[in-house]
Amino acid sequence: MSAPVRPSVNSLMNDRIVFEDVSKFYGEILGVNRVNLSIPPGITSLVGPNGSGKTTLMNLMTGLVRPSRGRVEVLGYKTDDPEHLFTILGYSTQFDAFPKGLTGYQFIYSYLRLAGRDAQTAEQMAWRVIERVNLVDAAKRNIAGYSKGMRQRIRLAQALAHDPKVLVLDEPLNGLDPLARSEMIALFRAAAAQGCYVIISSHILHEVDVISDQVILLSNGYVVAEGQIATVRGEIQEHPTQILIRCTRPRELASKMLEDTHTIEVTIHKDEKGVLLKTRDADGFYLALNQLAMNGIDIESIAPADDDVLSVYEYLIGNEEVVR
Amino acid sequence: MITAMTGPKTSGMRIWWAQIKAVIRLEMKKTFFAKRGLWIYLVAALPVFLFIAFAVATSGRQHQRASVARRGEKILTYQDLLAVQPGMTSEEVVAILGKPPVNFHWAENRPLGPGVTANVLRENYHYSDGQNDLFVGLLDGKVESVNIDSGNNLGQDSIMFAGVFQFFFLRLAIFFGCLGIFMNLFRGEILDRSLHFYFLAPVRREVLMVGKFLAGLLATGTIFVVSELLQTAAFLWHFSPSAREVYLYHNHGLEHAAIYVGVTVLACVGYGAFFLVAGMLFRNPILPAAAILIWEFINPFLPGILKQFSVIYYLKSLCPVEIPSPPGTSPLLALLVSNTDPVSAPVAVVGIVIVALIALYASSVQVRRMEINYTTE
Repeated sequence: MSAPVRPSVNSLMNDRIVFEDVSKFYGEILGVNRVNLSIPPGITSLVGPNGSGKTTLMNLMTGLVRPSRGRVEVLGYKTDDPEHLFTILGYSTQFDAFPKGLTGYQFIYSYLRLAGRDAQTAEQMAWRVIERVNLVDAAKRNIAGYSKGMRQRIRLAQALAHDPKVLVLDEPLNGLDPLARSEMIALFRAAAAQGCYVIISSHILHEVDVISDQVILLSNGYVVAEGQIATVRGEIQEHPTQILIRCTRPRELASKMLEDTHTIEVTIHKDEKGVLLKTRDADGFYLALNQLAMNGIDIESIAPADDDVLSVYEYLIGNEEVVR
Repeated sequence: MITAMTGPKTSGMRIWWAQIKAVIRLEMKKTFFAKRGLWIYLVAALPVFLFIAFAVATSGRQHQRASVARRGEKILTYQDLLAVQPGMTSEEVVAILGKPPVNFHWAENRPLGPGVTANVLRENYHYSDGQNDLFVGLLDGKVESVNIDSGNNLGQDSIMFAGVFQFFFLRLAIFFGCLGIFMNLFRGEILDRSLHFYFLAPVRREVLMVGKFLAGLLATGTIFVVSELLQTAAFLWHFSPSAREVYLYHNHGLEHAAIYVGVTVLACVGYGAFFLVAGMLFRNPILPAAAILIWEFINPFLPGILKQFSVIYYLKSLCPVEIPSPPGTSPLLALLVSNTDPVSAPVAVVGIVIVALIALYASSVQVRRMEINYTTE
């Protein structure tokens, strides 16, 4: 465990989290099916309704369950080799149970001792991570007496305790108050900025939208889309692109827009200071818009209105069980 | 953040040992102070209570004997008690032993023939030399029955101790104690939904398994060795210091006590390994426990080759005191009591270790296959 171990010779990729044709069945129940993924550094969000396979994907990534078919590697490490895998990976699960009778500090300290740290190092690392998740005051209290948010934070602390390169976080913001949420999001961003792989599952789409570098959309055990949000949105052809244009003469702009054959629908904004346009050819629209701007219509801003996770999710999966 | 990819800089064996110690520390707290394990203390304490009760009862009888001896006309020896024979007259008895310190007499109407009865005098004399009781039954002044009740007899008592050790302590107390502790090492964590804590640490699953096994061994070893030592203390308590000294230092008493402790530890090793693997394979502990209990019980009736795959087969061979079958015991029961084909001590120890290693190997295979899927449990 101690020395950095070279990933296996025939490993898939040493700088990615890779799923190669992975399926997982629980008896006859499908967990995930035929998943092929290659996850780069940064924040990657797993998005999907309950039962879509998010937790299964995370459990596969961390070796808590084994694939029925295919293989998973994390930066070249095999997931059935916890001794090496968890030197680079920390997992904050959704399981809300802890070893009995431990305080928050003992929980983290014991984990670090299990990880092979000596007493002094484990103590220092435990306090450092407890401070990072803002639990110093409660650290000496028994976890059984913690609130939901505190339990969530101590689980995060366990995942962060040994400074892993890969952070897998199952619904990490659940139970946290708004302040704690923003603190945690800042923490994830900082980790990603330093080159970490942060894998987050969440139901809360606006948060996913704010923090994710890329998303993996899951539905019924299948990956329905993956990549950067804008790219994913661009690939959804059956839904026209929506663009919000702020301008001084919206009605005039709307009538001119309708002359373009790619424009499907134009709606005047209720404040009469802009239009919402639906087009099948965004690139063609932007060219046409330049022409219009030159014709004297004063355009203040142009912004895509549906290249966020929320819209992509709605287009691909529907309105199932998500929090906007 | 990315200081990772670097674990603690220690060699493999050293870090495994450090991890095993970390597992033991976590498990000991849970094992010793778990509410669900309180019954194990009770089971371990039962034979101690039994020997304490026996010691109290024996001490009471000892005081009674001493009182009878003090009240006698003469200071008697065991040889004096043996001198009384059936057919002697009461005068002859009194001449040898003096006036009885305890004496009961009553008249009895005895049938002599059809319709004919006669009054007879019955008497009971009770003498004691301070250690043993003599009960003499007389009919019309003649000794009819002589009964010597040997008081403290370490030889007999050590057979009783061996019986309690083999038939209660080994086969039931340690068996069920190990079941309660070792089966819960993994199964309890699954039920509490906390096993993932261990599985998320950079620990080889086999190292985790060994850590848990040693924690269970330390817990059961401590509980049952302490019980065993307390049993020995309670067993010897009512003997005089001189009798204790003779037994311990000149009659192999100390050696026997040490062997009992060793057998206790080996029983924890053997049964512990069995129940560790059973706890991983079965959700319901009742079925494997019943199967192992029956397997151990029928061991004397099994063919030689099958006997070897049992813990009790080796443990029985290591026990220092042979339990004799009482006269008239049925052959089946005698087979259960006696050890017909004992193995030598080294073979027995190696045998248990091999049986335990086979079970631990099965555990290591199983622990590598384990998945965290609490919802199906």
